[in-house]
Amino acid sequence: MKPTISFVLQLSPATAYKDLEAVARNLLDGLDVLLTSGLVKCSVYMDGPTLRMLRKVAKPLAFGKIKNGIREGLLEFLGGGFYDPMLPLFPEEVQRLQLEQHCTLLRKFFDMEPQGYFNSSLVWEMDMTAVLAKSGFDYALVSEAAIQDALGRSTPTSGWFTIEDKGALMRIVPVSGELSRAIENDDLNWRKIAEPYCREGKSAVVLLDLPPEPSEIVAFFERLVDFVETNDVQTWPVGYTVNQLEPEGSLSYLMSAGRKLGLPASAKTCREMLIRRPEVNVLQKFFLSLFRRGRDSLSDEKFEVFCDRLIPAMSPIFFRDLANEEGMRCLNVRKWGFRYLLTASSALDSMMSFSGLRVEVCDFLLRGEKQIWMENSNMSSLLDYRAGGVLRLLCHKSSAVNLLNAWRDDGEPSLGFLDCLLPNVDMTPVQIGLALSLREYLLKDPYDYTISRSESGAEVQLLEEQGFTVGGKKGVFRVEKDYVLAPGASSISVKYTLSNSTYMDSKCFFGTIFELGLLGKSGGRIVIDGFDLKWDGENPLVYPEAKEMKIQDFAQGCVVTMKFDSPASVFVGPVFGASSSAAPEVYQGLRIYPFWRTALTVMDEKKFGISVSVSGR
Amino acid sequence: MRSDLIDIQVEDYGEDVEITLSGSLGAFQLPAVREKIDMLADGPGCFFFLNLSHAHFKVNDYLDLFLELLNKLQAQNSKLVLIFDSEELDEYFAKYRNIFEIFPSRSAYKDSGMSKQLQQIGIHYAVKTGIRLSPSVAIAGALLIVGWAITLFLIVAAQGREIADKQAQIIALQAQKERYVREIDRLESSIGPLRKLGVVQDTTMLSSFGIIQDWVTYLEYLENSRREK
Repeated sequence: MKPTISFVLQLSPATAYKDLEAVARNLLDGLDVLLTSGLVKCSVYMDGPTLRMLRKVAKPLAFGKIKNGIREGLLEFLGGGFYDPMLPLFPEEVQRLQLEQHCTLLRKFFDMEPQGYFNSSLVWEMDMTAVLAKSGFDYALVSEAAIQDALGRSTPTSGWFTIEDKGALMRIVPVSGELSRAIENDDLNWRKIAEPYCREGKSAVVLLDLPPEPSEIVAFFERLVDFVETNDVQTWPVGYTVNQLEPEGSLSYLMSAGRKLGLPASAKTCREMLIRRPEVNVLQKFFLSLFRRGRDSLSDEKFEVFCDRLIPAMSPIFFRDLANEEGMRCLNVRKWGFRYLLTASSALDSMMSFSGLRVEVCDFLLRGEKQIWMENSNMSSLLDYRAGGVLRLLCHKSSAVNLLNAWRDDGEPSLGFLDCLLPNVDMTPVQIGLALSLREYLLKDPYDYTISRSESGAEVQLLEEQGFTVGGKKGVFRVEKDYVLAPGASSISVKYTLSNSTYMDSKCFFGTIFELGLLGKSGGRIVIDGFDLKWDGENPLVYPEAKEMKIQDFAQGCVVTMKFDSPASVFVGPVFGASSSAAPEVYQGLRIYPFWRTALTVMDEKKFGISVSVSGR
Repeated sequence: MRSDLIDIQVEDYGEDVEITLSGSLGAFQLPAVREKIDMLADGPGCFFFLNLSHAHFKVNDYLDLFLELLNKLQAQNSKLVLIFDSEELDEYFAKYRNIFEIFPSRSAYKDSGMSKQLQQIGIHYAVKTGIRLSPSVAIAGALLIVGWAITLFLIVAAQGREIADKQAQIIALQAQKERYVREIDRLESSIGPLRKLGVVQDTTMLSSFGIIQDWVTYLEYLENSRREK
């Protein structure tokens, strides 16, 4: 039997952040190999930036040849989002915007409209049916596992199915996971695996990732031609097979968590990522907040310009729990994600001529609890007053950097101004680092808040009694924590007033933890009171009696300055994460813990203050 | 906490303060909303815009709250402007339509007339600074300042023109000088070979001072010429 295969070729989204020009040049050469051979008929998906680069570097007649290939049915370009986003994570308006932008580009470059929808993550939720139908797509590619799940069977599925939602119809084409893996890994048993897929003249859809290295792309296309020629395989673009074959049946419900997201096999939807990873969640909620604010306040024309700045943050790499620059487990990827959002935030401010202060009490993280968003034209922060008055985000707009951008393997978010008491015993820096990493001895009870506005700025006053257990002794401190933000200032300051409201003396060390996504491979330095620490990035240390601390991050081009009202001891240590194969060894951020000796007798009171300012290079 | 169903936002633009209230507001939320609005209204600001576009009121008790807020802000010599553009809210505020100022957006209020806004700023600052100006004095003062500004501008413009003329003249003279220097160089180079041959006499050396090279010789020359006389 001669197997019929529909190859779908796609580029990894991470490619866009490497040498895209070299990738595009090689891609053109590879397509040339494919079209010249005339043996392989396949479908291709490229995101918007890659298509634009392709156009930029194309030699004369190269696009003419591709257009000819499309007309002759050798090549089919699949549609999708401009930045290949996972659509279910975003509002419908922005979903349609992305689909429309990608479609416009294909129409402009190749005089064609895409028939099929493709998303490299292969996520699917029912709401997409109506959106895709409205955007003019005939069929969509979904993982075979999701269709098997919907049909309640584990045997190979091929051909196409129909699905209906809100009166809209969509044809669903399964991408064969097993056969794709077999062909990708040169498994000699591939023909045996392909057999059940290709029964009764059906075509199996095989998804192949193009190599991200530019030098390997042409060789990949040559191997593909060679594979088809040697094995005598019949190939068709996916669109052709959908038009030729009869439907296999209807599906009542379909949900796919997608592939290559770093989610466990038990996950049913890509939304699971928002629950598992607070970094991804906060990035998505920040996106939604900016989008809604822009929608409410800008005219249509300005909103379009603003969206152009905002939508790169929808790229799938910002919604994956993967390392090696493929997902948010990588510090650089987190930095890129927030850079896009903060650039868009600055653009929004300038379009709205916003130069004052904004304080918003809202359910920013959409989890049924309020947080306080504080913002001026230079800084923005998210204060979680119900979790010990901590900061979840602390962003500097002109450097486009979110300081609280570390990564914790235990799935907890990285925080700033997380108050912690250490027992009054001798502890080595390693022991302190361990206690801070395990988040022991925290003051994390919910606070009551008051917002007061004055000529000099806005103040959020938090006040509550905080219970603690240190060294086997229980105690209660009455803590007043005041966040102060002035209009136009690039700094935020916090004033603490601690009073011992029990009838016992209390001796301990009070301090506050910052988990910063700074330094790392790109380099930088830490200077305390003019003294360069020359920190090796691995071993924790404690510097006594510091008044001012500067952290210079060369790659991000920012300097973070912490000033202490009274001299503080400062702990400096790394936040390490696990790599895919070994013990925690991947640098994920910097842990800073300024602390003071706090011997409070009965009804005694102590005051501390920290100001964090950020400046450009 | 039931009060957590509401979202409240304050945007401070200096003189303008926009408080946005959104959510579904029933009887349970009233105390929390009252507390929060009082808290946010207790600060600086001349114009308080209360944006209710995303609010839905389930009970009429909120009207009293807004009337109290209006009283409070008037006592602070600030102005309360309600912002919304929906029929539902139009109906809700229908009874007090003549008491509240209602506009569809902050910019619509700003475009609605300068004089009332200036008057409001005047009232606000009169109380704040203790300086009271009658409209005629204010207009006269403003005219005086504008007159000064125009005079200053005219003087600067006239001086600027003069400087530009002078600069043009200097540039023209410099160009002329360079042209002459080039011409002289050209002429000297053309007669150089003839002068070497002795065909042309160097008239520059014929002058009385032509052979004088230093001060001593010059003084001797003066002495000699005086003696000869």
